[in-house]
Amino acid sequence: MKQKKKAMSVLHYVLVILVLVVTLFPFYIMITTAFKTSEAAVAFPPQIIPKDTTLQHFKDVLNPEIFPFGRYFLNSFKIAFTTAAIAIVIGGMAAYSLARLVFPGRIVFKESTLIVYMFSGILLVVPLFKIMSSIGLNDSMWAVVIANLVSTLPAAIYMLSGYFETIPASLEEAAMIDGLSRFQVIYKIILPLSVPAISSAFIYVFMIAWNDFLFSFTFLSSQSKLTLAVGLKQLFGSMDYVWGRMMAAALLTAIPVIITFSAVEKFISGGLTAGGEKG
Amino acid sequence: MQNSVKKIKKSSGTMQKRESRLGILLILPTVILIGAVIIYPIIYNIILSFQKVALNPNRPSKFIGLENYTKLFADPTFYKSLGVTIAYVVVTVLGSTLVGLLVALLMNRQFKGRRVARSLMLMSYVAPMVATVYVWKYMFNGLYGVMNYLTVDILHIFEEAPMWMDHPVYSVLLVILYDIWRVFPYAFLMILAALQSVDESLYEAAQMDGASAWHRFWAITFPELLPSIAAIISLRTIWNFYKFDDIYLFTKQVPVLGVYLYQTAFATHNNGGAAAITIVLFVIVFAFVILFGRKAVRK
Repeated sequence: MKQKKKAMSVLHYVLVILVLVVTLFPFYIMITTAFKTSEAAVAFPPQIIPKDTTLQHFKDVLNPEIFPFGRYFLNSFKIAFTTAAIAIVIGGMAAYSLARLVFPGRIVFKESTLIVYMFSGILLVVPLFKIMSSIGLNDSMWAVVIANLVSTLPAAIYMLSGYFETIPASLEEAAMIDGLSRFQVIYKIILPLSVPAISSAFIYVFMIAWNDFLFSFTFLSSQSKLTLAVGLKQLFGSMDYVWGRMMAAALLTAIPVIITFSAVEKFISGGLTAGGEKG
Repeated sequence: MQNSVKKIKKSSGTMQKRESRLGILLILPTVILIGAVIIYPIIYNIILSFQKVALNPNRPSKFIGLENYTKLFADPTFYKSLGVTIAYVVVTVLGSTLVGLLVALLMNRQFKGRRVARSLMLMSYVAPMVATVYVWKYMFNGLYGVMNYLTVDILHIFEEAPMWMDHPVYSVLLVILYDIWRVFPYAFLMILAALQSVDESLYEAAQMDGASAWHRFWAITFPELLPSIAAIISLRTIWNFYKFDDIYLFTKQVPVLGVYLYQTAFATHNNGGAAAITIVLFVIVFAFVILFGRKAVRK
């Protein structure tokens, strides 16, 4: 019996490791290729454990004459940060309203998440493109911010209203009996209590906007405005693409989200499961 | 104190009204934004789909009735695209949900390093899509890709390396594998959460009755997971029906409806035709949601 249990436990570890290998193998390849020399990257049989290494690809990617990494990084950051800030302010207001206040139509709003998902991504691209051109927002970061807001707002609202509902209502009632207005209650009690929830919702939206490809690819056209995601595609499309350089750039694009995600993973995985992801 | 309580009680009617007004006020920005970015474009899109849209934005578009639709339904590429899309959606949705379920069952027990393993298993879902697509393209490269080395030279699954990005069948297989790899963590997380809320005493009772692990899974666990699984399937079906970006970056060989739509709009510049495809795509997803999704997601 004991032996059987031990065998089961070993088998369990083997399976877990197998899943990890399949999940992480592409990242392993990404990292090792970024450090391989260009000749080593195309060697056959492939060097699974890199023999000839170099830092040249990172130097190239960070060299503005070869690839404007800094500019693209800044553009991605501006778009993701603005999207997250707006989603948190607007979504936070809506979330509080849905969690605490009684008004006509509340149930309808609560159940409309699925409807919003039915209008996501590619479905909106053609009409939004026409509309953005007609109001002069084409090739503006705002077009990307607005489109990203649609795909992230439902998730932000869901995460935040779920959190607000866990704050005991009696806390607010007591404060209101003490003469605080509803606005003061939100400002002085709810907001300070919600800092962890608000930051994880913020980072979740930031991540989706940072990873967006479709909208920035469609709406942005000037070189100086492109995001990292679109920049990566261009790097690949250029005639003299170099795998090591590509992988170094891919790695530098992935690292910020992976780090921020790990920092708040504990809070965020609830939100991931809450639905609300695009693609 | 006593006084203020009385005051609040007296004014509770107006207070309720004020609360309700505040409730509407706070949700208004969301409603306006969603309206501006969803409802208006959709109406606009319906109008576009009945027009021959002029390339020059300064020239008026012409109303042509149902012509965009009749052209679309007469186009064999459309039916091919629809077929590829349905196959892609069915396999990826079932595949990623099944893998997610199996991994969740694997992770639903205590062991050393569980938290780290769980975080690492989410990596493919967290990393930017563009970054991971290009590693995959590199791994599946026909000349020096590591996957061809593994499948041909080590495991002898293939006689010679398939052209993963250029062959009409293997490229479909590739984008399917990629999608399952990328999104299984979503199903995994949702199912794991559901597993952890299953009442332990149910298992204990079943164990005392001498039910086997296999039997316990089907009698207790699976019914408890069913609502989450149904929700995952319906959301993932919607998302994958609209799939565009990673397939577009991978290959020109997999003409799903999202790619077909994008090409019609931005390569052939046929905005009226693209608008008609948008409407057809939406109607299909809408029918699916009515038939299957609404019940599933309400849970």
